[in-house]
Amino acid sequence: MTTKNLRKYVYQPETFNRYRQERDYFNFLSGILAQMPDPMSQLSKEITDITVERYDQIVRCAEEGKPFVAGYFCAAPEIYEAMGLPWYMIMATPFLAASAPYLMEDIDGAEAMGLGTDWCTACRLSLYYIEAGLTPKPWALIGLIHPCDAGNMLHQAVKRNKKWRDVPIFASDPPYFEDQRGIDYYAGELRRMVAFLQENTGLKLDLDRLREVCKETNKQYEILADYTQLRRAHPCPHGWGVGGPQAFAATQVFQTGKPRGTKWLQQLYDDAEARVKAGTGPVPKEKIRYFWFDLLPFGWVFELMPWLESEWGAVLVMEMFGLQPYTPIDLRNEETIFRGLAKRNLYDSPMVRQARGPADYFASDIARVVKDYDIDVVIWPGHMGHKDGSASTGIMKEICNELKVPYIHIGLDLFDRRYTTPDEAKDKLSKFFTAMGLG
Amino acid sequence: MHTKVGPKLKTKALEQFQEVTKTLINPSLKKWKDNGGKIIGCYCSYVPEEMITAAGFVPFRMRGTGSTGTDMADTCVSSINCSFSRHSLDLGLRGEYSFLDGVVWVNSCDHVRRIYDHWKRKIDTPYLRLISLPKKVEEPQVEWFRGEILSFRDSLKDHFGVFISDDRLWKAIKLHNETRRLQRQLYELRKKKAPPITGAETLAVIVAGTAMPRAEYNELLKELVHELSHSEGHADYRARLMLIGGILDDPAYLEVIEGQGGLVVTDSLCFGSRIMWKDVDEKADDPISALARYYIADRPSCARMFGDQPRRSAFIQDMIRDFKVDGVVAERLVMCDCWTGEQFMIGEDLKEAGVPYIRLDRDYVSVGAGQLKTRIQAFLEMMGR
Repeated sequence: MTTKNLRKYVYQPETFNRYRQERDYFNFLSGILAQMPDPMSQLSKEITDITVERYDQIVRCAEEGKPFVAGYFCAAPEIYEAMGLPWYMIMATPFLAASAPYLMEDIDGAEAMGLGTDWCTACRLSLYYIEAGLTPKPWALIGLIHPCDAGNMLHQAVKRNKKWRDVPIFASDPPYFEDQRGIDYYAGELRRMVAFLQENTGLKLDLDRLREVCKETNKQYEILADYTQLRRAHPCPHGWGVGGPQAFAATQVFQTGKPRGTKWLQQLYDDAEARVKAGTGPVPKEKIRYFWFDLLPFGWVFELMPWLESEWGAVLVMEMFGLQPYTPIDLRNEETIFRGLAKRNLYDSPMVRQARGPADYFASDIARVVKDYDIDVVIWPGHMGHKDGSASTGIMKEICNELKVPYIHIGLDLFDRRYTTPDEAKDKLSKFFTAMGLG
Repeated sequence: MHTKVGPKLKTKALEQFQEVTKTLINPSLKKWKDNGGKIIGCYCSYVPEEMITAAGFVPFRMRGTGSTGTDMADTCVSSINCSFSRHSLDLGLRGEYSFLDGVVWVNSCDHVRRIYDHWKRKIDTPYLRLISLPKKVEEPQVEWFRGEILSFRDSLKDHFGVFISDDRLWKAIKLHNETRRLQRQLYELRKKKAPPITGAETLAVIVAGTAMPRAEYNELLKELVHELSHSEGHADYRARLMLIGGILDDPAYLEVIEGQGGLVVTDSLCFGSRIMWKDVDEKADDPISALARYYIADRPSCARMFGDQPRRSAFIQDMIRDFKVDGVVAERLVMCDCWTGEQFMIGEDLKEAGVPYIRLDRDYVSVGAGQLKTRIQAFLEMMGR
């Protein structure tokens, strides 16, 4: 079957310039990591190599007229993988922001477009990149209308955008509560997503292949579960630099259902296990074990996270994306597989899990992590785009009070260092740690 | 030239409606309550209030009227949450909503859905319910919402012991449709060259409809429409404006705009045309399906509804044509992501259509008269008015 005629626009190579630039950066990074033989650097190198290969794959698809789509981690990437459909995220650049020297300029560009400055910076940037022709144009777009209003409005604005009006878009509708009716409804939405992808790419979903992919993901999450158990050790074997966010990227973005991802997770586990046996952590003496309850501050991550380790002996023991609440997918038949995908992608995936529905998830995740990981302090960064989370701050504070663990809400922009500067964030954390007698 | 548009008409009905906007528990509601009637707060215009009326209760749209600060709410939420959510929660925490027998939410937006979480933890209103509102407007969503409405009916039965038969529900739907028809008649009068009612007065009329026993409201509104049909209108304006945006229940905001000579002749607001431009289909097979279809697919949608922006834009552009609008004023509460996005998109559409357009940020309680006057004056001057 030919799929070439389903692309609804002419290939625009110039929209790949920035994309190629980012690929080249990761290639450069991989070269540096190749010079560092320690296991942790090699784990990072493997993820970096995979990243480069994904970039290359999208560029190749565009050049050869093969289908590729834009999608999301919590929009059933298992299905894209089973269909053999390469994909990327339109929101990727903001999350690679620490490596993007043009970030501040881009944020100003978004403002100049007239996008409200209290709108999540990641969403503003994504729309700006499309308007500025800096994002590869996919054959079709899987949008996201949860967990937050900002994401919903981003995808509405993308749908309306003149340059992308010929890109078909589908978004699954999220039910609010977690129950069987919600799972069945969302499974129906995922089936409609499959029909949309088939119609717009010409590729077909084979149930046996989907089962195979889901089986592999079950293995991946099992290893991840074991790995997260190792992070309970004193000292915690890994800090902010390796583990959670990378494991998330491997399972839900880069290597969903791929044996190479499973192998990487096993290596991550093996390294952590060796470090637990040796009693080694990321700092010489672990003084504070903290739970960072959100994304990392990608725009200035290298200025804050290493400082927490060196200045305070503070180790990131758990964060939002490293949590492991995943239920294995029941592989018996099509119905059980789609229900499993619905549950995993709607109720288990990070951020979507906490932010989409009632605030109870914020409270229960804090309680679980504080108890299981022997946490000394809960840090809620309070990203300016996460309105639902900041509207839950009182609930998070109360649960921390009950658990007798200090809780701090910083108030920052994960991408724009001008909102709360790294120095201001450090000052706030230092004063709080001192006042709480930590470190 | 500086022309002010001010009130010309004084009628008993209009005065009563205006009175209702100034307090939470107005005289009609108080009388209803004193006679043992029940009142259910609704946090969004997507709550199917016909079901509440059918239960024999009064649906009351939640507001922050009378709030002077957010000290108590600020212990629950943060400064990046919108002022409506903070003020209304603050009133709840202070006991100002103790006259309510229940409160119903939908997951409207990131701010309002969290009020539900705080309310259930901190305020002892006897009945609380959050209805899961879809974010798309297609057939599977109509079917989902039908299920939600059925569950809502069951929960009212379980809590209050009241069985809502299809007959009772049809009666309530007819009563609410009557409200909508009367409100549309009022808007029809605003199409005149000299509209007999200002935008500020109209807002008071619409707000009152969400805070009074429905039959009593309809009678008063009938009286007002009749009186206005024979009244002299406002011809001394500089421009005819359309107001669009999210929650706005304070006529004082429009008074400032109209004080500069910009007569607000129509709107796309959830205290405005979006809640009454269409009727619930009275010929449908069953009332639950009719309600589900009305709320999800038929009524002009809120900015949060994905995939429906072209229809919302067309609705606004039809209004501009039908009401001979000279310019569009878009207001939103600071920190509202839904209306940030919507303002951006409609702004692009109106730019293409050549319609003058201004975007305004505001606070829920403080009108910010000085800045608002300056912005509106500049807008009118930009239009050559």
